[in-house]
Amino acid sequence: MGNDDYALIRSVLAGDKDAYGPLVARHSQSVFRVAFRITEDEADADEVVQEAFLRGYRNLKGFDARSNFRTWIYRIAMNCALDVLNKRKNQTGVPIAEEYDDAQAAIQLADRAAGPDRLLLSQEIQARRHAAMEKLTPTERVAFLLRHMEDRSTEEIATALGIAPNSAKQAVFRAVHKLRQSLAPLWAKS
Amino acid sequence: MKHLTEEEMIEHYYSEDFRKADAQLHLQACKQCSQAYAELGKLLGSIRSPETPARGSDYGEQVWRSIQGSLRPYESKRKNSFFHWPQLAYAAACLLFLAGAFLAGRMWEYAHTKPSLASAPQQAKERVVLFVLNNHLDRSERLLVQLNHAVAEGDKVDFRLQGEARQLLTDNRLCRQSVDRSDDPLLAAALDHLERVLLEVANSPEELSGADIPRIDQEMNTQGLLFQIRVLRTKVSEQKLNAQATPKGATI
Repeated sequence: MGNDDYALIRSVLAGDKDAYGPLVARHSQSVFRVAFRITEDEADADEVVQEAFLRGYRNLKGFDARSNFRTWIYRIAMNCALDVLNKRKNQTGVPIAEEYDDAQAAIQLADRAAGPDRLLLSQEIQARRHAAMEKLTPTERVAFLLRHMEDRSTEEIATALGIAPNSAKQAVFRAVHKLRQSLAPLWAKS
Repeated sequence: MKHLTEEEMIEHYYSEDFRKADAQLHLQACKQCSQAYAELGKLLGSIRSPETPARGSDYGEQVWRSIQGSLRPYESKRKNSFFHWPQLAYAAACLLFLAGAFLAGRMWEYAHTKPSLASAPQQAKERVVLFVLNNHLDRSERLLVQLNHAVAEGDKVDFRLQGEARQLLTDNRLCRQSVDRSDDPLLAAALDHLERVLLEVANSPEELSGADIPRIDQEMNTQGLLFQIRVLRTKVSEQKLNAQATPKGATI
């Protein structure tokens, strides 16, 4: 797979633009998955996939033959996803409270009153989790997602984010701490 | 007992702690930490990523179609090499020119250094001649001064002066031979004049009397010769200084 990718990259660099097509087709699904995990939005994830492959094509000359194309494009996709999160954060109109606030429940929990108790609690947790995730900084969010959802090691997170391993570890700690603060009231209720 | 911090619990949860066994033992022993760790696990366990929406098998092709139009093909390597060859030729020409200039410089330096190196012993020889000549003129000047003083005071000249004149006569002949080769007519004439005076003084049968000295002075013009010798000595001293000032390593 890796050698095959590299042969396609050489063809692209030799002037065969269409050789990039199989690379895009081969890696789009996995790039979409990570993009969706970070953005939690289908449209944003689609946008991230397109942007990642565009950036990848433009920077293909800088691709190191010893690297894995999948890891490389994956990292570009994460940077694109971070850009989307930053953009989204700047455009957010409704502030989300740090702590759970009953007065703002209508905004924070979209479907709080529907269904039986257990389902309601589950929905509350998911809505609350989504709100809590939105409160994290992009770095904390990606670090936490890679650690918690993708089961990546601290070193891998640090490499993906281009930061020191200790900074990656601290980002995970801060993310968990913030999530605990936001979600603890729900556990007290249950 | 030292309780586990939140960070240590998080590390333990993700199995990234270095002292996993220690943390495990502590959690078994400490109820407080065990409870906190259970709460953390419950919380983190509840956080699950929303299910990723499915994408069709042609998703990759869709993405490719959407970006294909905005991609510009890279210039092929053949084209690159075609455009590069005149630059390479230019670089090669520059290198050749530099190498040629370097060789020409080396040859020029060799051609101009060789005679200079060959002339180094000649210069050393000239310095020796100038030194000897300067010394000879100095001694001759002193002898002539003594003669003139004797003329002024009407004294006799002792035999030591004659001995000195004989010695100077020998040296003068050697100096004349050297000067003849150096093509300096003024110096040669002065040495010739000096030789005649020295010959007269040296070959006198006995001590020079008070009457002999004015005669020699008159016939040989020793006053004029003294002046001439002083001028020449100054000139030779300057030449000697110049010769000494020339750096030893100079080649040109």
